[in-house]
Amino acid sequence: MADRELATLLARLKSSSAALPYPETTALLSRAKLLLLQLNALTPSPTSPPALLALARDIYEQGALASIRNRDAPGFTRYVAQLRPFYELQRHGGGGGRDDGERNKITGLYLLLLLTQGLYGEFHSELEALAGEGGLDEVEGDRYLGYPIRLERWLMEGSYDRVWKAMKRGEVPCEEFGVFSEILTSQIRSEIASSSERAYPSLPLASTKSLLFLDSEGAVVEFARTRGWAVRDGTIYFPDAAGASAAGETADKEKELSLMVVENTLGYARQLETIV
Amino acid sequence: MPGKTPDKEPVENGGYRGGKDIADKDLKTKGKKASKKDDDDEMTVVVPPSKTQKPSSAPPPNDPEGDVAMDDTEGEPKADPVAQTINDIKSDFAHLDRAVALFDARFTLRALRSISSIRKRLTPDILAQVIAETYAPASAGAPFAKQMLQAIGRPDVSLGRQLGQEMDIDSEPKAAGGKTGAKKEAKEAIPEVDVFLGILTQVLLHDAKQVRRGFDFSQLLVERIRSLNRRTLDSLAAKVYFYYSLFAEQTAPLPPSPQSPAVSIRPTLLAALRTAVLRKDVDTQAAVIVLLLRSYLSTSHISQADLLVSHTQFPENAANNQVARFLYYLGRTRAIQLRYTEAHEHLTAATRKAPSSACALGFSQTATKLLLVVELLMGDIPDRATFRQPTMETALRPYFLLVQAVRVGNLEDFETIIADHADTFRRDGTYTLILRLRQNVIKTGIRMMSLSYSRISLRDICIRLHLGSEETAEYIVAKAIRDGVIEATLDREKGFMKSKEVGDVYATREPGEAFHDRIRACLALHDESVKAMRFPMNQHRLELKNAQEAREREREMAKEIQEGELDEDDLGGDFDAM
Repeated sequence: MADRELATLLARLKSSSAALPYPETTALLSRAKLLLLQLNALTPSPTSPPALLALARDIYEQGALASIRNRDAPGFTRYVAQLRPFYELQRHGGGGGRDDGERNKITGLYLLLLLTQGLYGEFHSELEALAGEGGLDEVEGDRYLGYPIRLERWLMEGSYDRVWKAMKRGEVPCEEFGVFSEILTSQIRSEIASSSERAYPSLPLASTKSLLFLDSEGAVVEFARTRGWAVRDGTIYFPDAAGASAAGETADKEKELSLMVVENTLGYARQLETIV
Repeated sequence: MPGKTPDKEPVENGGYRGGKDIADKDLKTKGKKASKKDDDDEMTVVVPPSKTQKPSSAPPPNDPEGDVAMDDTEGEPKADPVAQTINDIKSDFAHLDRAVALFDARFTLRALRSISSIRKRLTPDILAQVIAETYAPASAGAPFAKQMLQAIGRPDVSLGRQLGQEMDIDSEPKAAGGKTGAKKEAKEAIPEVDVFLGILTQVLLHDAKQVRRGFDFSQLLVERIRSLNRRTLDSLAAKVYFYYSLFAEQTAPLPPSPQSPAVSIRPTLLAALRTAVLRKDVDTQAAVIVLLLRSYLSTSHISQADLLVSHTQFPENAANNQVARFLYYLGRTRAIQLRYTEAHEHLTAATRKAPSSACALGFSQTATKLLLVVELLMGDIPDRATFRQPTMETALRPYFLLVQAVRVGNLEDFETIIADHADTFRRDGTYTLILRLRQNVIKTGIRMMSLSYSRISLRDICIRLHLGSEETAEYIVAKAIRDGVIEATLDREKGFMKSKEVGDVYATREPGEAFHDRIRACLALHDESVKAMRFPMNQHRLELKNAQEAREREREMAKEIQEGELDEDDLGGDFDAM
C-alpha cells in the first residue's frame, strides 16, 4: 500500500518538481520520507528489497535536486549524506543491478558545491574515492563529474577565462549546475580583483571591464568602489598597499630583527648552560 | 664514579637487545611489507635488481620441502634441520611459559622474534609434529589443535603422539627435545602456546599462499583470542590480527571492491580496538589502528580514515614499526586532504622511523615516493641525494624525471612524463596527487622566466608554457604575483611582465631563521637523547644504599658535631658564665 503511494509521489516529484514551488516540494518530500520510514527503508540495509531501495534512492535524489534548484546548500548536503549508503550498497551488488540512478549527477553537483564553498580538502577526498573505484580517466570523461574537476584545475592554475567560458557557452552539463555559476562568477571576480591589485599599478577602465567579465563600464566603476579603488580619467589606480607601508615597516623590521637575534642568542646561551 | 662501571654494562646490554629487536622485527617486516603493500610487491617485480633477490630470500619457506632446500640456504652442517626447528619452537614455549609465570612481556617478544628464523624452516610436517606432541588427545586444547592440523592440511595426525619419528632421525637433539616435550605434555598447554602455534600456522599458510584457508583459520583464531582475557596474550594478539587482515586483503575480491573481506573485517577490528583500548593493550591497539587505516585507504575512504585518526589516540609507546606505518598512512590521508605541511611532517618522520636495513626497503620506497610528491606539491624541490641511494635509484626513476620537469617548469615534459609513467604512478597511488602538480609546474615556469628576463611579453610566456591564450597567461601571471611566487608587475597596454629587482636574501631575516631552525633541531635532538637514555634497573637501589650510607655517615657526623657543638655550647656557656 505504502509503496504504491510512494511511487505516485515519486512520479509527481519527477514530473513537476522544476515547476513546483519549493515549500510544496518539501512537503511532498517529507511525506515520502514518512512513508519510507513506515516501510523501514529510510536507511538502507542489505536485506531490504532492491525495488524499495531504488525507490528510496530516487526520492532522495529528487530531494537533492530540488534543494539545489532552490539554492538550499545545507539541505543538499544532507540529501547527499543520505544517498551515500544507497550508492555504497548498490556497488556491493546488492540492489538494483547496474542502474546507477543519478549518481554521477549528484556527485558532480556535490563536488561543485564543495568547490564553491572553498572546501578543497573535502573535494579532493571525494575525488580520491571516485578515482579509487573507477579510474580517474573514466571519471574525468564523465559528463557530470568531469566538469567540476576541470573547473577546479583551472581555478587552481588561475586560468579564469577558461572557467568563465565553461560557465557561459552552454557548456554546463545540466541546469542544476548553472545554479553554481553565479556563485562561482562572483568568486572568480574577487579572485581576479585581488590578483590585479597586486599585479598592475593601474588599469584602463575598458580593459578592466573585459578582465573582470563585467558588462559595462558603469559596473566596473561600481565594482571599483566596493573594492576601494581610485578611478581617475578612465583609469583605475590600485591602492599601493605594499609601497605605502613599506617605509614605515623597514624601521620596525630592523628593530624586530635585532630583537629576534638577541632573544635567540640568549636562548642558545641558556641551552648551552644546560648541556655543559 | 664507581657506580659507572656496573651501570654501563646493562645499558649496553639493553642497547644490544634493542638493536637485535629491531633487526629481527625488520626481518618480519620484510615479509609483511613486501606482501603488505601490493604495489611494493609489484614494484619489486618491475624494478630494482637489488630488490628482487630480497623478496626471494624473504619467502623461501614457500618451499614445502624445506628439508632439502634448507641445507643449502643455511649452508651450515647443523645436526638435523627438522629436529632443530622443533627444538626452536619448543624453546619458545619455554619463553612463553616464563612470560606467563613472571608476567614479563619480554619473553613473549623473544618468542615472537624467533618466528622469523623459524619461518624459513617451517613445514606443515614440522608444525604438525609439534602440535601432536604438545597436546594430549584429551586435553582442553585438543579441539583447537585439531583445527590447526586441519588448517595446515595434516588432519590425520593424531594428538599426543610420542616422539617416535624423531627417534629415528637423530639421538642427540632428541634427548633435549624429548625432555621438554615430555614435560610439556605433563601439564596443560597454556593459551599463549595455543596462540603462538596459531601464529605459526598463519605464517605457514601465508607463505604457502593458501589465502582462503588462512583467512578461515584466522577467523577461528581471532575468535579464540577474543574469548580469552589474558594480558600476556597482548603482543601475540597483535600479530594474529595482523595476519588476519593480511589474509582478508588477499582473499578473492581484492580491496578496491567493496565486497572484499578487507571491508567486512572492519567491525571485528573496530571491536578489537575498543577492547584493546579498554584493556590498555598497547600492542593490539597500535596494530589494529594501523590495519584499520590501511583498510580505509585501500578503499579510498579518506574521511573515515580521518575520523578514525581524530577519534583515537595512537599509543605513544607503540613499537617503532607500527609508528612508522601509522605515520605513513596519516601522511597519505593528509596529502589527499591538501594539508601538505602536516603530510610532509608525518611522511618525513615515517621515512626516518622506517628500519634502515634492506629488508624493509619496500616501505621506505613507498614512503619516499609519497614524500617526494608532497614536497613537490609544497613547492620544494627534493634533495638530489635522495635519488642517488643505490637501493632507491631504480624505483624512484619516474619520480626523478618528474622532479626534473617540475624544477625546470617545463609543462610539456611534465605532461609526457605523466602519460609515460601513468601506470607506475597509479600503482603507487600517487597519480591524483601528481595531477595536482600542474599548477606548480606553471608557477615554477613563470618564476624561471621572471628570474631570467627583466621584461617578457605575455605572448612569449604563453608560448613557453604552452598555455591556451594570452588572456590565460595574463590571469595566471597575475595570480602568481598575488600568491607571492614572483615579484613583478604587469603592463596591460603593452602586454608584458616586468620583473622587479630581486632583493638581497641576506638582508632579510631569512638566514637568521634558517640558522635558528637548525640550532633548535640540534637542541631538541640533545634533549631527546638525554630523555632516551636508559639506566639499569637496580641502579637506584645501589644509589639508595650509597645514599643511605652517606646519610648514616652524615648522621654520625651530625652526632659528632652535635656532641662537639654541645661541647662548644658548654664551652660557650662557660664563656658566658665567665
